[in-house]
Parts: sequence; structure tokens; C-alpha cells
Amino acid sequence: MEIIWFGALAVLLLGYFALEGFDIGLGILLPVLGRSQGDRDRLVGAMAPFVLAGEVWLVALVGVLFGAFSTLEGEVLSGLYPLVVALLLTWITRDAGLWFRRRADGAAWRRVWDGAISLGSAGLALTWGMSLVALARGLSAPLLTLEGVGGGIVVALAFCLHGWTFAAWRLPGDPVVRGARRTGRGLALTALAAAIPAGLTVAVVASALIEHAAPPETLTTMGAIVLPCVPILIGAQAWVWRTFSRGPLPTFF
Amino acid sequence: MDVVDLARTQFAVTGSLHFLFVVLTLGLAPLVAIMHTRYAVTGDPLHERMTRFWGQIYVINYALGIFTGLVMEFQFGLSWSGLSRYAGDVFGAPLAIETLVAFFLESTFLGLWIFGWHRLPRALHVTCIWLVTLTAYASAFWIMVANSFLQHPVGSVEQGGRLVLRDFGALLTNPNLVFALPHVISAGLWTGGFVLMGASAYHLFRRTAEREFFTRSLRIGVVTATIGSALTVGFGYAQFGVIEATQPGKFDAAPESALGLMIGIGQLLQFGVMFVLLPLLIRNLLARWRWLHPLLMLITPLPFVAAIAGWLVREMGRQPWLVYGKLSVADAMTPGLSKAAITGSFIGFAGVLGLLALIDYLLIARAVRRGPGQVSLGMPDRPADPVPQPAHSL
Repeated sequence: MEIIWFGALAVLLLGYFALEGFDIGLGILLPVLGRSQGDRDRLVGAMAPFVLAGEVWLVALVGVLFGAFSTLEGEVLSGLYPLVVALLLTWITRDAGLWFRRRADGAAWRRVWDGAISLGSAGLALTWGMSLVALARGLSAPLLTLEGVGGGIVVALAFCLHGWTFAAWRLPGDPVVRGARRTGRGLALTALAAAIPAGLTVAVVASALIEHAAPPETLTTMGAIVLPCVPILIGAQAWVWRTFSRGPLPTFF
Repeated sequence: MDVVDLARTQFAVTGSLHFLFVVLTLGLAPLVAIMHTRYAVTGDPLHERMTRFWGQIYVINYALGIFTGLVMEFQFGLSWSGLSRYAGDVFGAPLAIETLVAFFLESTFLGLWIFGWHRLPRALHVTCIWLVTLTAYASAFWIMVANSFLQHPVGSVEQGGRLVLRDFGALLTNPNLVFALPHVISAGLWTGGFVLMGASAYHLFRRTAEREFFTRSLRIGVVTATIGSALTVGFGYAQFGVIEATQPGKFDAAPESALGLMIGIGQLLQFGVMFVLLPLLIRNLLARWRWLHPLLMLITPLPFVAAIAGWLVREMGRQPWLVYGKLSVADAMTPGLSKAAITGSFIGFAGVLGLLALIDYLLIARAVRRGPGQVSLGMPDRPADPVPQPAHSL
């Protein structure tokens, strides 16, 4: 049972990097690729329907950490205190940009929230990289290190690559990606690249995680409720990808 | 303030902000689902406009529910790591289940509903909003299971200084859950009903062109508020016996004023809705009596105030315990949490969430003011090809 819940945790973390990484990367690239307001509207419209289904992977990850690895949950989150606070604030800033950018008229209003999307996304990628490095080094090491910043830049670059590929896949031939086109296979490859930093960290902390798993009673009870729902979770995600992969761009975000 | 007080205040402020938005989400979700179903069945454009207008209010409100909810979830680990160390194997289970099988699906289906206009077949699109409603209620259920465990820690025994799970069924039938859950859900309906009433009263008072739309919305609001307030008050009083048995002296620890405020608002409004507003639906008197409309607008915030007062009573009445009778709040705090860290995060969370909450309410007010004629939810999609657009189209 420990192995199943460790697997769930790993899948959620890697899934978050693969499925939310391109939203974050595209957010960072928004001012670079989207020179005009129309360009930025198309880029946001391309990623918008995937954001809600992407960020829930992290919410579920922290939930599983609490339920199945409870002694670690407090230690990890409080051990990374300033990074977790920064991660939350940048995540909320990015989300606020997406939710609010079209809720009022005027070019200035939308520019401000587009700025929130790119600043929030950049901060989110950097804090993720720094957090992964801190986790891999053990929590007693200082949080702000050169390696940490380096990790942040690597994650940000991987997300940017993934985000650019997503744009070239969802908006093939569009001037925002200089006419480039990418296939689904190309997108899967950059998803893999985006998930590598998370995968390496999971590999480093795997044994410590499994050692701290909750007692069998807790794991079995949660498993009995969650496992039957797994096909529904996967089905719902697949439905999102099936529905929004092609066709005109939604305009709500 | 010392570090514990700061950490408690941070939790109270973010938690109160969270529930301000969640209470409306819980109330509006089923109403929007019913409106959408009526549209799908009848094809009547009025029901489509109602779905889109009230659906947009619901969605704008939902954004802040997410933002504040993220902070709530992570905050347990940030400032209260003693809770996960001592009780995580019990308390963590309902939270993990909530994130995996409730919120995960709620957010995914909400995305399908928001962006699925003109794309999903009508029946499937309606199914999405019902799934959003169902999973929102499931979410409320699991969160209340977790919270009720803190009030009355059943189903577990202490072993080696930690709580271990013995009987999960006892968590689901916790006496502190069975009346509190319907109390919270009914309070949501009541709040949703009042928002419909307040917004409708605004348009009817201003004599805008949407007379039929808001006469019917006002009727839905009053009926919902009647049901919601009656159930809220009933399940509220029903809790006194349980509290006396499981948390004697709760109301000595809770601020008297919050309890009095909640009961005062609840009782007064419930009678007012049932014996004044409901009868005035006959021959649409309420919609026609314009002098009453400012009053309806004025009382719109009251269910929100009562809801926050109710949470303050429930949570402050638990003091000084985090897990009642077992783990004190002071012992649950993260060891070594520095004053600088908690002050920094408190300023960050309260500042950012407070500002975004204010903006969100202004955006809701704006959406109400503009009325059903200018709704962006459900607008046509744009072609993916970049065609030159005039600057102010759409």
C-alpha cells in the first residue's frame, strides 16, 4: 500500500509538471510571443481551457502528502516556508491574471493582468525549481543558494520550451510562433522534458518518502474510496483534452 | 501579538475570506444547474440568458474561492505542522480524499462547463454543471468531516504520542457533522437566494429593460432563501444538544457577540423572508412594490455576515484546543516558526487576497449592473487563425 500511495504522489507531481508546465511556460513567454493584444488574447485562449484541469494536480498532490505521508507534510511545507509562501503568492497572481483580464474593458486593464500572468508564471517556475533543489538536498540546507537559483532557471527554461511547443501545436502556423507547427508527439516530448526535474527529485527522496508513509489502516481506507474513482479522474482529464485540442479559441479568459 | 496569535489570525483571516466566497458558490451552483437544465429542456432563450448571467456571477465568485482555498490547504503544513505530526493519519485522510475525488473533479468539470459553450452537446454541457454541483457538495462534505474531527475527535486512539485511525465510519457519522453539514449547505442556499434577490431588486428599482428576467430571478431568490433560511435555522438549533454533549462550555469560549449576531440575523431574516417576502410573491407584488427594493439590496450582505459569525463561534469555541481535548493550538504550531516568517506570510496573504477579494466584489457588482445584455460567459469562440481584428470588437 505504501508503494501505491508513493506512486500516486509521483504521478501527481510529474503530471503537474507535464500538464501545468506549458501553461506556466506560456505565461512566462506571453510578453515575448504576444507583441500585440490580439496575439496575447490568442495565446491565453489556447491555454485557458487547460489551466483549471492542470493546476488541480498540485492541489491533489498536497492532499495526498497530508493524507498518506502526514509526518512529512508539515515538515516539508514548513521547512520550505518562504518558498511555499512565494509559490502560493505567484500562483495566485498568475491565476488572478487569467480570471480577471477580460472581466473589464480597456487596454490598460488587460495589460496589467497580462503582466500579472507573466510575472506570476515566472515567479512560480523559479520557486518550483528552488523548492526541488532544496528538497533534493535535504531540508536542513539553506534555501537560497546558487544551485537553487540554477534549478529555478532550469525549470523555467523547460516550462518555456514546453509552453512554446504547446502554442505551436494548438496554434499551428500562427505568427505568434513564427509559423512553426508541432505535432502531438512533439508536445509529449516536451512534457517529458518539463517533468524531468520533478522526476529526478522524486527519485532522490523516494526512500525517505516511503519510510514516512501513514499506517496501513489509513492508506487502505483512503485507497478504498479513491481507487474506484481513478477511472473518473482520468476520464475527466481526457475529456478536457479531447474537447479543447482543436477548433476555435474560447474567449472567457 | 506573539507567534501563535499571528498564526491564528492568519488562519482566521484567510479562512473567513475563503468561506465568504465558498458560501455563495455552494448556493449558486445548484441554482445555475437548474437554470441550465430548464434551458436544455425547453430551449427557451430566457433560461439561456439566466444561465449565462447568473453563471457568470457564480464563476467570478469562484475565482476567489480557489485563491483563498489554495492558501488554506498549504497553511496546515506551513504554520501547524504539529497537527499533521499528531493527527495527520486521521485528519489528513478526509482532506486527501477531498482534493482527489472532489476538488480535482470539480475544477476539471468547471473548466469543461465554462469553456464548453458552443462546443459540447447540450446534454453533456448540462451534465458538467451538475457534476460541478455534486463535487462541490462532496467537497463540503469531506471538509466538514475533517473539521468535525477537530471539534470531536472520534474514530481514533492515541498510540505512541500520535493518533491512529481505528474507525473511519465514526468520522463520517460524527455527531458534530450530521447537523453542521446541512446547516452550512443551507446557509449557502440562503446566501445564493439573497444575492439573486439583491441583484434583481437593483434592476427592478432602476427600471431597466430586463423586467421579466429579474421578476423571475427575484422569485427564484425568495423561494431559495425561504428554503435555505428555514433549514439553516433548524439545523442551527439542532446543534445545541450535540455541542452541550461533546463540547460543554463552547459558548463561554466563543465570543458572545458572534453567537448573538448569527442568531439575531438568522431569526430575523428567516421570519422576514417566510412571512413577508414569500407572501408578496403573490401577483408579483414584491417585484412591483418599488419602495421595498432598496431594503432588499441593503440586506443582501447579512447572510454573509451571519456565516462568518457562525464560523467564528464554531472555531473560537474550540479554543484552546486544535484537536478538542487532545492537542492544543500552541502545541500544534510549527516548532521554531519565527515571528519574521509568520509576519511576512500574513502580510503577503492578507494583502494579496484582501486586494483580490475587493477587486472580485467590484467585478461582481459590475457584472450585475451591466445586466444580462452584456455577459461574456458563453460568448462565441474566435477562429484560431489570426485575422486582423478591429481594436474594439468584442
